[in-house]
Amino acid sequence: MNILYSWLSDFIENPPAPEDLAAKLGRVGLKVEGIKKTGASFSGVSVGQILKIDKHPNADKLALVDVNYGPGELRVVCGAKNIAVGQKILFARVGAMLVEGELKKARIRGVDSEGMICSAAELGLEGDSSGIMVLPENTAVGLDAATLFPKADYLLEVEMLPNQGHCLSHYALAREFCLFYGLKLKEAQIFEGSAAGSVVPVSIDVPDLCPRYTAIVIKGLRGAKTPDWMAERLRAIGSNPKGNILIDGSNYVMYELGQPTHCFDISKLAGPEIKVRRALPGEHFTTLDNKDLKLDPGMMVIADAEKSAALAGVMGGLETAVSDYTDAILIESARFHPPTVRLASKTTGIKSESSYRFERGTDPELTMKAARRLAGLILEAAPGASVEQITDNCPVKYQPPVIEVGAGRINAILGTGIAPSEMYACLKAFQPDLADSKPWNFTVPSYRQDIENVWDVAEEVARYAGYDVIPSGSGMPMLPSTMTPLWTVTSETKNTLASLGFSEVYNYDFVSAKEMKACGLGAEGAVEVKNPLSSDYQFLRQTLLPGLLKTLRYNLNRGRDCVLIFESGTGFARKDAGKAEEVYCAGLMSGDFPEGGFWKGGQGKADFYHLKGMMARLFAGRSGFRFEAPKKAPAYFQPGLCLEMKLGGSSAGYLGRLAPAVASAFDFKDNNIFYFEIPLSCMAVAGKTEFWQKITKIKPVSAFPQNWRDLSVVLEEKHEWYELERSFSGVQDLASARLIDVYKGKNIPEGHRSLTIRFIFSSMTGTLNDADVGARLAAILDKLTKNFGAKLRS
Amino acid sequence: MNATSWKEKLSAIRDSFSVSIAKNPAENPEALELHYLGRKGELALLLRDLKDIPLEERKPLGALGNAAKQEMEAKLAELKGAPGAAGPAVKSDLDLTLPGWPFPKGSLHPLTHTMNRLAEGFLKLGFTMADGPLIEDDYHNFEALNFPAFHPARDMQDTFYVDAKDQGGKPMLLRTQTSGVQIRSMEKQDPPIRVFHTGRVFRSEAVDASHSFAFHQIEGLYVDKGVSMADLKWTVDTFIKDLFGSSAKARFNPSYFPFVEPGAEVDMSCVFCKGGHTAAGRCPVCKGTGWLEVLGAGVVHPNVLKACKYDPEKWSGFAFGGGIERFAMLLYGISDMRMLYENDLRVLKQVQ
Repeated sequence: MNILYSWLSDFIENPPAPEDLAAKLGRVGLKVEGIKKTGASFSGVSVGQILKIDKHPNADKLALVDVNYGPGELRVVCGAKNIAVGQKILFARVGAMLVEGELKKARIRGVDSEGMICSAAELGLEGDSSGIMVLPENTAVGLDAATLFPKADYLLEVEMLPNQGHCLSHYALAREFCLFYGLKLKEAQIFEGSAAGSVVPVSIDVPDLCPRYTAIVIKGLRGAKTPDWMAERLRAIGSNPKGNILIDGSNYVMYELGQPTHCFDISKLAGPEIKVRRALPGEHFTTLDNKDLKLDPGMMVIADAEKSAALAGVMGGLETAVSDYTDAILIESARFHPPTVRLASKTTGIKSESSYRFERGTDPELTMKAARRLAGLILEAAPGASVEQITDNCPVKYQPPVIEVGAGRINAILGTGIAPSEMYACLKAFQPDLADSKPWNFTVPSYRQDIENVWDVAEEVARYAGYDVIPSGSGMPMLPSTMTPLWTVTSETKNTLASLGFSEVYNYDFVSAKEMKACGLGAEGAVEVKNPLSSDYQFLRQTLLPGLLKTLRYNLNRGRDCVLIFESGTGFARKDAGKAEEVYCAGLMSGDFPEGGFWKGGQGKADFYHLKGMMARLFAGRSGFRFEAPKKAPAYFQPGLCLEMKLGGSSAGYLGRLAPAVASAFDFKDNNIFYFEIPLSCMAVAGKTEFWQKITKIKPVSAFPQNWRDLSVVLEEKHEWYELERSFSGVQDLASARLIDVYKGKNIPEGHRSLTIRFIFSSMTGTLNDADVGARLAAILDKLTKNFGAKLRS
Repeated sequence: MNATSWKEKLSAIRDSFSVSIAKNPAENPEALELHYLGRKGELALLLRDLKDIPLEERKPLGALGNAAKQEMEAKLAELKGAPGAAGPAVKSDLDLTLPGWPFPKGSLHPLTHTMNRLAEGFLKLGFTMADGPLIEDDYHNFEALNFPAFHPARDMQDTFYVDAKDQGGKPMLLRTQTSGVQIRSMEKQDPPIRVFHTGRVFRSEAVDASHSFAFHQIEGLYVDKGVSMADLKWTVDTFIKDLFGSSAKARFNPSYFPFVEPGAEVDMSCVFCKGGHTAAGRCPVCKGTGWLEVLGAGVVHPNVLKACKYDPEKWSGFAFGGGIERFAMLLYGISDMRMLYENDLRVLKQVQ
């Protein structure tokens, strides 16, 4: 909210300087986000007229200008391009105080300059500062320029939180400030007179939605205008004055006191009468800004004898609006049910300064004061007008809550030792007539609709004493703490991948339909955002692939020739399609490997075996891990170039080469992109993530020499190495088996390959002789033959 | 040959040996040995020449020759390496100035490092990690957190809705804050409870240097008997010191979050300038104020406790939360939040 320092100062006796005021407001929870100097803060500047322009003898871009500034003529050096003879301009004499400080006599490129023709910026004014400021032709030469602009002032931009409905005006903010800093609050001048007439009857059908409706009727306005001072203030806080006191005055009172008011033109009110009621089903209503609305009974309207004249608390109607010809008005100043106003504002999509304040709860005791303030301002502007009726229809009298407050309870909430006398002083600042009998029966001021209980009072006490009064200290008992299994697994996975050379990236969760389609995924399984920022972000990602591919593209475009990246994040699925959220770890590798190559040679391109080896490394030590040909691979893998990973019976994700169609859909030249994705829940199995459970028990090692033998077998290509390796388990004294050569070609049948495997044997009980080793090797060959149809290579 | 010329010759051999060694210490020591000390080596031949010198002069010359021989043998032994060593102490064919094998270097994201650090900190203070879904219902994201329907507090967070409905028929949403995990934790566990959570949240707002439609938050909750704002202040103060060192301190300012009362915004003293100004002028991090807003906090609102069937007259608690991007940006000196989601490897690889 914009607060004008001078306006605020109307209500504070001896206000502090703007910077100080802003700092103090911040400490009681009213954050001032900016202080802006406004208006004319210069002096020594008068209106001048350009008489003559000569070329500067020593500079092409400068001119010598003769200026008549009233008392005489002076010659200045000027660099502006927009000067012309006859212009009325702002002339600063030597000694003038400008934004940059005092103007001194200057010698510019050898010529004396006896002043300056000013731009807006040089005077601290807003506006085009590319050249000098040119004034209207009829401006009087010699006039003090300060009188042409609003007076110097400060604009404070105050951030308002949703519970600060009691601070939404200059007066209210002043009241808050005075309360917490012990200053004297000053009151606004209001119309004090009375009127006995009853021109427009006011009835309320919905007292629960409109507990109070205050109305003042004024006649004899005859097109009264907004006074300059009012227009200037409204302009300064960013509200656009219309020149009509009925409109501007109403806004002025809202910004001053916080109570929205509205003026109806009585000549346009059927009846004339005012009826507060619910809207009728399907009722049409045309707003002030000429929008046709279809209303429903969830909304409250102010109606005349025939139809709606205003959408209560949100906006007035076009048909009953005041104009420059309006002679008689009814001022409305009411209290409306906040949720009803908010619902109407949300439903119609109309947000107004009025609905903003009603939503946050207005002061029930303010309606009459605001109406009288507006009446007073209107009467000042229209001396011939008279107040004909003052009505205060209040079917539901406001009952302020009374809260029992004990010093012990407040100190227990805050953890403080604030003296009861200080607490009493705070409560008395809110309620001057509070009796000092403990516990205090604190009556909440009517303007504080947000204070409901002792916790709310505790906050006010803390604000009063200053939040610094809260000490930093705790006697919290110790409690055991644990991580979630998923976090533990995610962390371990990330650390392993990073140690293998992958860099972690973070992408957004949103994808477009196009990106999903590019990955071969349909929209039917995806969760759709109903109000996306744009169609690029219309769906929640099912897989992390699109983001990773975009990251790959981004980095390739920046000259990187090796990309190893991974991400951990949520994949979303429709609930009826299974698990709604699954945390994945996915990544890809593409390009040179290792990065940058090695000067001795030996580098190549990232390939399937790099990735497969890394996955084997990632799952190392997890029992039941294996690779398998997938029954159905995700669509984004190249068919036949994808493996499924398994942990026990459940899937641990996939790895493989990207499908060519996906690569080309993402504008890659080839599909040398190797991708993996792992649903992390597969490792976060309850009961298996605790530290002690994950520890592998250490087996004793042999004290005797080891023996090794190489075995070459021929078998079908379909068999996964890790399957073979697993089948060796149980072979007596086998310490390890390592694949050392693969051969296809001459003498090997089609669809087969020869594998040379090195077996290392080591016994715990003694040194193995040739016969021992031979027997064990025979057992291995037997397993290979039985399980995989392997034959010894001849 | 007389004694004098023999001595000169010996001296010349020693000099030439020293020069060979100094010129190229890595030269094959075996070749040197052969050249000087071998059966037909220079020194061996010279020693053989002694026989031509008169006996009375021969003795001291022989001692000189043997001393030179021992000296050369010692030098060569040094080059060949200690007795029994696997190789010579000096090897000639390695250029030690060339780079080593390029082991791939990966990296964790700054946000991960930050979250890990936060999690460690809270674990130490006895907070157990809790979890919650990203697609959340209105009740857990708003209602139970004392954001009533039709309350302006709902405007504080622009919400994304998804095409799914909860059991009551209200649209499901992407959680706008991690605070729903407070509710889910209290529903599952009776007091006392001390939990924390880190995770992703979503707001329907435009992306700029300090805003993002997806970001991360940390959330903490402690409910027990007699918990006060002083406990809260100690906790956030400890947390901030854990992250930014012992000179950092926390300050409370009044603020508003619907699920706490009293509410506070937590400022951290700016550790980068300590008071608002640096040698170069106004501190660009805290904008000269000396303080940085980092967390929101407060006493758990009685309505929140009631919603979780905790009796607010019996139990009290505190809660706090904040943006993780904010911490990461302060820690890593990043001024534009978008950099965290750009995934430029030139940036990410800098993170150790």
